[in-house]
Amino acid sequence: MNLEEYRTVFVAGSLILMLIVSAPTLGLIVPSMRTESFSELWVLGPNHKAEDYPFNIKVNESYSIFVGVGNHIGDLSYYLLYVKLRNQTQPLPNATTSESSPLSPLSEYQVFVADGGTWEAPLKFSVLEASRNDDSLSVGRMSINDVTSVVTTSARWDSEHKGFYYQLFFELWLYNVASQSFQFHNRFVGIWLNITG
Amino acid sequence: MSVLRFSFVLIIFLVLATQFFVPSTSAQIGEDETALALARAEVRVVSAYQAVLNAEKTGANVSGLLAQLNDVGKLLAEAKVAYRLGDYDGAVRLTGFCSEISERVKNEADRLQSEAHGHRIMSHWLIMTSSLVGTVAVGLGSFWSWRFFKSRYYERVLRMKPEVSFDES
Repeated sequence: MNLEEYRTVFVAGSLILMLIVSAPTLGLIVPSMRTESFSELWVLGPNHKAEDYPFNIKVNESYSIFVGVGNHIGDLSYYLLYVKLRNQTQPLPNATTSESSPLSPLSEYQVFVADGGTWEAPLKFSVLEASRNDDSLSVGRMSINDVTSVVTTSARWDSEHKGFYYQLFFELWLYNVASQSFQFHNRFVGIWLNITG
Repeated sequence: MSVLRFSFVLIIFLVLATQFFVPSTSAQIGEDETALALARAEVRVVSAYQAVLNAEKTGANVSGLLAQLNDVGKLLAEAKVAYRLGDYDGAVRLTGFCSEISERVKNEADRLQSEAHGHRIMSHWLIMTSSLVGTVAVGLGSFWSWRFFKSRYYERVLRMKPEVSFDES
């Protein structure tokens, strides 16, 4: 190696060392790369597993499930979780247009989850009043976490699957600090119930 | 005499009439007051959430406040359910607790944020100063090393004895 080549090696080595030493300061100035931000929403059965979900529902019997939310937004987030009940013909939220279901909620949870954290709570429900009329079944009252709500939904007999089917579903809303309001977060999950009367 | 009798009957009628009007009026006020209390509580909860969010962004440890925020959220959800069921007294009582805890959380978050802000400025200054000192030290060290290396290199070259070789072919 001649002197010119040695000088190149020295300059390159010095620059690399300077870059390493100034890395903490550069870290303060250069914004860190963010991964994709999203939220999780899940429902688990009574044994805290994704199995044995309540399905055949009898009036005045209590059933339990678990509902949970995971935050990967990047900040502490404020979630609103609506509990809704629909029959087979009533609308679910529209994932394509990010519109929530127009149905009224039976219950709600307001939760705050740290970034990377999760929240989970048990949900106990029972159908308190259901009346059958020929090929339809109307649910009059329903209890969710020991709070009774009036429900005005009826389901027609599903001859293919042999039952009166309802769906208990959860809608996730997220508080938007910029608009100062909750916005539907395009996440929903539910379980099917065959109310046997 | 007839005027006196008429006045007496009118008073009796008004007293009886209030029995029917007063409860419905107070129920109406109760509902409005509850709605107002709920709206106020929601504003306070959002305000507390934003204070905790800002504190977290500044680098404060907000795990304790997060648990309190979740208590507030639970109370607010219960208050809304009570309102929907017409239990206005219960709803107003719950919003009262809600506002009280939210206020406490907000104050604590503001305090943590200002503390964390001071620490953050200190640590930023420390990082920047040490980086600057380190960079200058590396620069000067490299410069002096290069000068030393160069002088040694020349010395070595000057000490070399040139040899003349002949091509015998």
